[in-house]
Amino acid sequence: MSAAEKKFVYGIFNDDEVVVNAIGTLRSQGLKVKDVISPFPIHGLDHELGLARTRISICAFIYGMTGLSLALLMMYYMNIFDWAMDIGGKPSFAFYKNLPAFIPVTFESTVLCAAHGMVITFLLRSKILPGVEPHIIHPRMADDHFVMAIQVKEDTDLAKVESLVKAAGAVEFKS
Amino acid sequence: MHKESELRPPLILGEKTWHDITEDVCRPVESKANKWWKIAFTVAVAGLLWWIISVSYTLGTGLGVWGLNKTVGWAWDITNFVWWVGIGHAGTLISAILLLFRQKWRLSINRSAEAMTIFAVICAATFILSHMGRPWVGYWSLPLANQFGSLWVNFNSPLVWDVFAISTYFSVSIVFWYTGLIPDFAVIRDRAKTKWSKRIYTILSFGWVGTAKNWQRFEEVSLVLAGLSTPLVLSVHSVVSMDFATSIVPGWHTTIFPPYFVAGAIFSGFAMVQTLLIIVRKVLTLEDYITIYHIDMMNRVILITGSIVGVAYLTEFFIAWYSGVEYEQYAFINRATGPYWWAYWSMMTCNVITPQLFWSSKLRENVFATFIISIFVNIGMWFERFVIIVTSLHRDYVTSSWTMYSPTWVEAGIFIGSIGLFFTCFLLFARVFPVIAMSELKTIVKSSSEGAKKKSNQSNH
Amino acid sequence: MGHHQHIEVTSTKPYEFTRKNRMIAGVMIIIGLIAIIAQFATHHTQTWSNLLMNNFMFMGMALCATFFLAVQYVAEVGWSAVIKRPVEAMGQAIPVAGGIMVVIILLGGQSLYHWMAPGISTPGSENYDAIIAGKNAFLNPVFFWIRVVAYFVIWTYFTKLFRKNSLLSDEGDGKGYWLKNKSAAAKFLVLFAATESTMSWDFIMSIDTHWYSTLFAWYTFAGMFVTSIAALVFTITYLKSKGYLQEVTEHHLHDIGKFMFAFSIFWTYLWFCQFMLIWYSNIPEEVTYFMLRQDHYRGWWLGSFFINFIAPFVILMTRDAKRKLYLLMYMSIVIFIGHWIDTFVMVIPGSMLTAGHHAAEAGAHHGHALSLGSVGLMEIGTTLGFIGLFMYIVQHHLSKAPLVAKNHPMLEESLHHAI
Repeated sequence: MSAAEKKFVYGIFNDDEVVVNAIGTLRSQGLKVKDVISPFPIHGLDHELGLARTRISICAFIYGMTGLSLALLMMYYMNIFDWAMDIGGKPSFAFYKNLPAFIPVTFESTVLCAAHGMVITFLLRSKILPGVEPHIIHPRMADDHFVMAIQVKEDTDLAKVESLVKAAGAVEFKS
Repeated sequence: MHKESELRPPLILGEKTWHDITEDVCRPVESKANKWWKIAFTVAVAGLLWWIISVSYTLGTGLGVWGLNKTVGWAWDITNFVWWVGIGHAGTLISAILLLFRQKWRLSINRSAEAMTIFAVICAATFILSHMGRPWVGYWSLPLANQFGSLWVNFNSPLVWDVFAISTYFSVSIVFWYTGLIPDFAVIRDRAKTKWSKRIYTILSFGWVGTAKNWQRFEEVSLVLAGLSTPLVLSVHSVVSMDFATSIVPGWHTTIFPPYFVAGAIFSGFAMVQTLLIIVRKVLTLEDYITIYHIDMMNRVILITGSIVGVAYLTEFFIAWYSGVEYEQYAFINRATGPYWWAYWSMMTCNVITPQLFWSSKLRENVFATFIISIFVNIGMWFERFVIIVTSLHRDYVTSSWTMYSPTWVEAGIFIGSIGLFFTCFLLFARVFPVIAMSELKTIVKSSSEGAKKKSNQSNH
Repeated sequence: MGHHQHIEVTSTKPYEFTRKNRMIAGVMIIIGLIAIIAQFATHHTQTWSNLLMNNFMFMGMALCATFFLAVQYVAEVGWSAVIKRPVEAMGQAIPVAGGIMVVIILLGGQSLYHWMAPGISTPGSENYDAIIAGKNAFLNPVFFWIRVVAYFVIWTYFTKLFRKNSLLSDEGDGKGYWLKNKSAAAKFLVLFAATESTMSWDFIMSIDTHWYSTLFAWYTFAGMFVTSIAALVFTITYLKSKGYLQEVTEHHLHDIGKFMFAFSIFWTYLWFCQFMLIWYSNIPEEVTYFMLRQDHYRGWWLGSFFINFIAPFVILMTRDAKRKLYLLMYMSIVIFIGHWIDTFVMVIPGSMLTAGHHAAEAGAHHGHALSLGSVGLMEIGTTLGFIGLFMYIVQHHLSKAPLVAKNHPMLEESLHHAI
């Protein structure tokens, strides 16, 4: 389905519990409720909309393991393989013998890569980046209003949709 | 639906709606600065100028303008570095550890505490750079080969660990802070009246729209960042403590240092948060959000961490005696009775005795008393680092090297100037950034605000 | 979502301590007794060390339960209201551990603590040790016994007080008794901070009398606390698997699982700090402690680190893992074993040196330069005995009061706990 065929109408709500309850009601009435835009995270909304659980923490784990491996590899290469030094009576000729001193940097590198990797993934996946122009449906949708996005076809009877959405508690309807 | 025990006091006073929160938090950003802000900013910038002069003089002339000598090679520079880094820890603690512990009172204070973290770490970093004497070769601390090919940094050195720890901490704190700011910038963006402020806040908010998927990811990212920041914050001050503890200098080499430094860092950080927020809630009229209850809770943290620090002092002192090692014993007796006895007893008084006043709930809930005690703690924690660094160094193993240290005007200037730098940053932050995490705070209006509590009491009776 | 439904408390009755469970606990205690007697009968040098380490763990599980309880009051924790009774029951083992500890040290002290050797602080005596003599102001029998008695009196007093107020609250005024316990808990925590430190020096650190580490008290605490949380997890998951405590949902399990996870990491952090700083500076006053363990107990020493760190870290990291009843139960057993080994490494190397020395003096041993500990049937049997005793005490007290304190002011919050 191309973007041109997608058409959305919006129900504007002013209460989080009402909008969450409206999802089930409107869906049972045959409307395609696709999304809810809210000024703050609503506990259980993703479940109600049927969104899949995010896998971003798995990404963080993978980035973290990458950071851990890179740090160990770097220190092995620099301080053991390429130029071993004898410091404080502890010649660094074997990796495992120096390992206790390598732990702090390994840990920091793990956290560094996990945190930054995860946040970059989040920004890219959600397409929130400097310069992106937001699609503002209602001037107070980041303040105290909730926007429900409903997908309709070209020939849908919008008046009927509007009455259903308003019956479910919307204070305003936008098409 | 979340249920709250009747024992819990409201976290937002007055019958506030979501829109009221938006109005209250955006007001300082959208209106002109008031007189108090302008006065404070002028003083802060004056401090910043003094800082610039002192640092420029140091870099232009050389480290000889400081009071350091062959025996005492670290003094005010590292004292101030550790002090500032320690202060920074409270921000991460509030936003990460209290998030994991689901302490909701963090919500009104986490934003400004995180900002404080970032500015404090910037101040700390300036001391590291300036104490190098030649900051333009500061990149030598990074793992780059030298010009002959392959002499690398020494990863056995705690100073190299520090480079990694501080830079990780700084960058992750910024990311944590900024991620939380994105939805709040979107609020200001949608309300912006002028073309320029609209444009600026559009860029700052990264085009944020609060779709369900965005919020879902946002919450997961916040949680994982909190999970990562918690061990990170422990590791940072542990690594700072290892700068001392890996050595064999009496008074420095002691295994309790890492956790004890972390406790001390949280202690001093919370004191600084108190100092700042007591001013901020007044100047920006946010008393309904940063309530007496918030101040009380922070005072409890100060009491607990202060007591932990006290236990650590006594443990160190006791074990120094118990060890039977005369160098160790001398180091501690010298701290208490030697030429720097006044520093030691200032530290003991401010850090161990003053916070014990917070056993009294009257004092915990008294804004003025809290402000005074928080200043005492700030001073005490500065002396702690001074005592550890200078008194341990000024008595060398070789008695002919015994000496004293006193700072020059340049060092004093850099320290006081760094406070100016800190406040300049913080005051600018309070003008252009939302000082309270609006989006997060709105989630508790229905469960924890005074209005909601009244409603639920009515329905129960 | 959005409904204020009322959740009924179903655990209004006490736990039923069945005949079968009494039998199991009883048999375990008998196995323990047989193992101890057998070890004595064979004049095994490890007997006292073995008893000390097991009783120390036993005491730690109970003591940290009371500590955990006190923290719940002081921090005004809501979610844990439904699991308070099991925590209270665990604390009741403190006086028993105290009694056993007194017997062990009274009869076996000289085989455990180097500083208890006769004449060790008397110049001119053939046992004279200048370093230990320097510690005499602290490590002398009179002061030592005053401290030991004080510990158990203080801990028992507060444990019983919390329990008493909690039981009284079932009659009515939940809030009033909760506030009483809260103020008592603040006092307890102050005393705990002091006694836990000195206790760890007295019972464990003074075994290797020459050695010292400022971190030792906190390190000991972290280990004890994780073990105690593991025991709590086991108790709760067991009760739930038997149909009790249905108020405890996966959300509560998640939270208690987080504690087990987080404090395992915290223990690892302290383990690393203590080891690394001593390894790094490499001074003989300190490093001998780790050399003994590294050279002669390497498998145990590293094994405890890996079991206590890698296992919880990898297995309990995900959210789902912390919500699975049986996985948590298995992990609590793994962590118990891990910390058993850690306690072994803390106690046995040093106390076996003392014991070997003591036995050689008494003429039982000749020519053994180094006396080393080991793990065999008698050690495992002793541990089974202590576990049996712990199980008996916990189940006994669980059967004395309803499993949920129904007037607890945080109960509503705890019942609706959802994360």
